[in-house]
Amino acid sequence: MTAAVEFQNVSRHFGTVKAVDGVDLTIAEGSFFAMLGPSGSGKTTCLRLISGFEKPTGGAIRIFGEDVSSVPPHLRNVNTVFQDYALFPHMNVRDNVAYGLMVKGMGRAQRHAKAEEMLALVKLDGYGDRKPAQLSGGQRQRVALARALVNEPRVLLLDEPLGALDLKLREAMQDELKALQHKLGLTFVFVTHDQHEALSMADHLAVFNEGKIAQIGTPQDIYDRPATRFVADFVGSSNVLPPELTRALGGPAQWASLRPEATRLATSGPVTGTVTALRYLGSGTRVVIRAGETEIAALVPAGQPVPAEGATTAIAFDPQALHLMGAA
Amino acid sequence: MSHSAVLPARSLADRLTGTFWRRPGLLLALLILPPLLWLGVVYLGSLFALLLQSFYSIDEFSGVVKEEFTLKTYAELFRAQNLDIILRTVLMAAAVTLACAVLAFPIAYFAARYAKGGWKAAFYLGVMLPLWSSYLVKVYAWKLILAKEGVLTWAAEGTGTGFLIDGLLTIPGLEGSSLSTSPFGTFLVFVYIWLPYMILPMQAALERVPTSMLEASADLGATRGQTFRTVILPLAMPGVIAGSIFTFSLTLGDYIIPQIVGNSSRFIGLAVYQLQGTAGNIPLAAAFAVVPIVIMLIYLTLAKRAGAFDAL
Repeated sequence: MTAAVEFQNVSRHFGTVKAVDGVDLTIAEGSFFAMLGPSGSGKTTCLRLISGFEKPTGGAIRIFGEDVSSVPPHLRNVNTVFQDYALFPHMNVRDNVAYGLMVKGMGRAQRHAKAEEMLALVKLDGYGDRKPAQLSGGQRQRVALARALVNEPRVLLLDEPLGALDLKLREAMQDELKALQHKLGLTFVFVTHDQHEALSMADHLAVFNEGKIAQIGTPQDIYDRPATRFVADFVGSSNVLPPELTRALGGPAQWASLRPEATRLATSGPVTGTVTALRYLGSGTRVVIRAGETEIAALVPAGQPVPAEGATTAIAFDPQALHLMGAA
Repeated sequence: MSHSAVLPARSLADRLTGTFWRRPGLLLALLILPPLLWLGVVYLGSLFALLLQSFYSIDEFSGVVKEEFTLKTYAELFRAQNLDIILRTVLMAAAVTLACAVLAFPIAYFAARYAKGGWKAAFYLGVMLPLWSSYLVKVYAWKLILAKEGVLTWAAEGTGTGFLIDGLLTIPGLEGSSLSTSPFGTFLVFVYIWLPYMILPMQAALERVPTSMLEASADLGATRGQTFRTVILPLAMPGVIAGSIFTFSLTLGDYIIPQIVGNSSRFIGLAVYQLQGTAGNIPLAAAFAVVPIVIMLIYLTLAKRAGAFDAL
């Protein structure tokens, strides 16, 4: 498979701040790729390196095999859906969408027809005459999407595309974006700090931490087998066990992660703790047990007895579910 | 310790706040009344009094104002010498506005997009400082700068560029013995004096244009020039118009600069000043004063029609 985007030891330093530090990354053509990480982890800078709004201070970036180090943004066949949508307030929706064609010199009738086509694609037919200010947040986002797609980019970049939408709309847009990507067969690269969004939408993702990639893989890889403590902490709702506790539970003295679904309560065992919190989830109850310095969550399925707050209980688990990882 | 759900009112302020909370319109009415009185009675009232005066006429023999409704005074505006004044003033105001806009744009753009911290403070200081000193002092200073024996001529001669000034002073309409007696000098001083009024609203408008909008334009394939024409300029337009309202109307009404710098040809402001003073022709002065109002209304209508306020 062709690589749509390739980073080779790419760095972007701002003075002493290493926003992106020695990143190697390959994004396959046609994939829906997520860059996940907390704010300041370098994910947005990476996106801006692809679009050309940032220049790398080291390394090489290739888009479909071509080195783009000296190519300005307006000559890169890559388009962005901005976090704040960045719609032009003085133009109506149709002119916003047709903007990319207008600056390339396409005639009015032709570009307007193309814009209408794009608006239909994002289910906004008939909204062409409105001003961005007259649209809802979700509609504005669709306009931004149509505007970015009208140029037929080879890679579509999305910067926190769903961040400003409410929960229900966000879920609907997730499905739609996924369907759209499937239909167009384009490479989508999106940045998010929401792990659920990354896991549910992407087919591959990179987890960023302090300017470096902590782990790269499929959502399942990352959720089930976090490479480092940071990834386990950030991505999952997994329990992160310090080395002493892992050893007490019968494993080697290493950091490990344990999913709450695989954690059970027992009457006796090597590790015991006090129940500190109960959260009823409908499908079960999440029980938090404090064992020494560590809090461990266990999911008790509905119908099984739930201990009272303050009770002492032992912890048991499925040995295969214990996943060992690095300390970083 | 009291556990009542309602706390007792401690003072008059508590009771007043309560009253305002129960009747929200009351506070608004109290707050708006003084400015409304000022705006309605003092400001607009005097403007209408002026407007009324312009519909009176003056008895040519006795010089007494006849308080009868007539359009005779307005007809007088169309006499060749008065039309001349109006035309000259409007041309000057337009030229000053255009020059201010061209000069102010890069300054405002730099301040809005690039200046941070200390540079920003320096910008505000640099723009505002000239406004804090006396207007008359600045105008007289310019008279000296532009005079035949002034620093500008001296510098031009020293660098062998004196022919530029001499050439400028032979252009029809700009003739004079030196820059300080040429209409071009008047123009320069107007531009200098009103420039801050153009920079500040422009800077405010440019500051509201998010960087992402410029990036979006480049992202979609626009060159710098295209981004400037299709995004920056339209979005800055309300600021440019706001600035031009200042420079245009201030030039239309000023009567001091043309008296001090230039060839003493009359402008609207100067005409009003002389008509209401020495000539005692209040109706014609009032009619002249209405001219800038009408011009500004026409200007704003045209600007609105051209879409200058679409970005608001």
